[in-house]
Amino acid sequence: MTHISDSQNTDQRRFFQRYAPYFLLAPGVTWMALFLVIPLVMMVYVSFWTQTTFAISSDLTTKSWVTFFSSETYFGALLRTIRIWLTVLFFTFLLGYPIALFIGLFVRSKTVQTLLLVACVIPFWTSFLIRVLAWRPMLGKEGAVNLVLQKIGVISQPIEVLLFTELSVVIGMVQIYVVFMVGPIAFMLSRIDGSLLEAARDIGATPLMTFRRVIFPLSLPGVTVGAIFVSVMVLGEFATASALSGRKVNLLGNIIVTQVGSLKWAFAAVIGVVLTIVMAIVITALLRLVNLREEL
Amino acid sequence: MHHLTKTRWALAVYAALFLVFLYGPFVVMGILSFQQGPEGGPQFPIIEWSTYWYQHVIGIAPASRVAPLPVGDALIRSLSLAFATMVVSTILGTLTAQAFRTKFKGSGFVFYLVVLGMMVPGVLLGLGMSLVAAQFGIDRNWWSTAFVLHVVYTFPFAFLVMLAIFNRFDASVEEASLALGVSPRRTFQKVTFPIIFPGILSAMLFAFTLSYDEFPRTLFTGGSQVTMPLAIYGTFSVEIHPNLFAFGVLTTLFSFALLSVYAILMGLSARRLSVRSTGIQEDVT
Repeated sequence: MTHISDSQNTDQRRFFQRYAPYFLLAPGVTWMALFLVIPLVMMVYVSFWTQTTFAISSDLTTKSWVTFFSSETYFGALLRTIRIWLTVLFFTFLLGYPIALFIGLFVRSKTVQTLLLVACVIPFWTSFLIRVLAWRPMLGKEGAVNLVLQKIGVISQPIEVLLFTELSVVIGMVQIYVVFMVGPIAFMLSRIDGSLLEAARDIGATPLMTFRRVIFPLSLPGVTVGAIFVSVMVLGEFATASALSGRKVNLLGNIIVTQVGSLKWAFAAVIGVVLTIVMAIVITALLRLVNLREEL
Repeated sequence: MHHLTKTRWALAVYAALFLVFLYGPFVVMGILSFQQGPEGGPQFPIIEWSTYWYQHVIGIAPASRVAPLPVGDALIRSLSLAFATMVVSTILGTLTAQAFRTKFKGSGFVFYLVVLGMMVPGVLLGLGMSLVAAQFGIDRNWWSTAFVLHVVYTFPFAFLVMLAIFNRFDASVEEASLALGVSPRRTFQKVTFPIIFPGILSAMLFAFTLSYDEFPRTLFTGGSQVTMPLAIYGTFSVEIHPNLFAFGVLTTLFSFALLSVYAILMGLSARRLSVRSTGIQEDVT
């Protein structure tokens, strides 16, 4: 008897051991299926519903889709979103890379490295929305930037295009998101083996050549991860645009918010699906360049 | 080598300018939070230095035309939401990362499914969830529909942090403990947990801060009772007042306090680990 129950016991244990990962995964995967996958599928479904002024019914139609692509406002918002995203991506790279280079490669002491990174992260302890609003007194006609520039005599008249334009939206987004570019690049650069750079110098490479042939290629996974972070956040943005453009610059996100506000669920869903497709293309393209699982 | 020293100095100067760019708005915000009230607006020049807007935030300023921020209720809601999100997503993240320690079929799929949660823009998830809620007649509340989305957002962060911790984890320590006849429960308590504790703390910190500041997801799913970020967002459409800046300064100080607690706990855990490892024999048996 004991013999049988023993073997039963080991059988049971083997069963649990074999399927242990799946038991551990079950809660997380279930959560994601219910609250991530289903809402997204629902959005695609609703985008084909029939929208009338006062109501929405589940009769399937492509009318909302036709409206999106034939309307100047909606299609224009798509183009504007892509333009602002590319601009912000470019500037976060341009402004962020030198900082990452300095932190990751030129600062030798680990303590100073950590201190500089912490200094970059501190702004994130203030609420995102307040960070956005803080740009208003900076950029306004009587804002800090204009005041300082006038004091030191660079300009005689205040610059008025600084606030409530596309420029202010770009400035705000670059400041808020640049750190997401700095972090991954600095991380990749700090992992570069010093002997590699010595070797390059020993075979007579100039610093510029070393940068172009060794340092920059090795930092590219960091650039890609940073680009993924920035893209994900900028493409889904609406708060910065509405706070710093005085509602003049409407991104896809802003249109979703307005449509939901006026209970135009089908239109909102169409724009949501368009945004999802744009995101999917961007992220898949970037993920082809880097294996996220291996960079951890 | 001379050339590189020059580059280093150029980069150092640039780094200083960069920090000015990062901190400029905060300095301005800090200065303007001491604007005279209630007439003084959120712009220069400072009419007269005062702490009026701080009194306004904590609700001891005399009544004026500027509506007070709903600091009490909204803040408590935000903090409880952040706390619940932190607990649930840290547990889910740890369990899922633990599963990834052994190879299993479909791990790639699960990895990207989880990571998708932090990649999908909040506004899309908020929209999708409110559509689901409308379809099935579910009430939208900050503690139900908004809460589940907060976990969808923060769970991937907790998962990635724990995955990174487990990747650097030497499994032979655990195996040694089990081989020496220590029960799995005690092994977890005395060996595994102390090693992964710093990771759990970071995962908790991530989840808490992200949830506390989250708002695109909450915007559509939070219902009528607003959280703190929604209360601030509500002021976007109307005129803004320096009370927001005073609130910003106060919350930044609060975050500093929170992070100090985190740093102290991390320090303590590191010290305990080194003490434990010397006396681990007596402890385990």
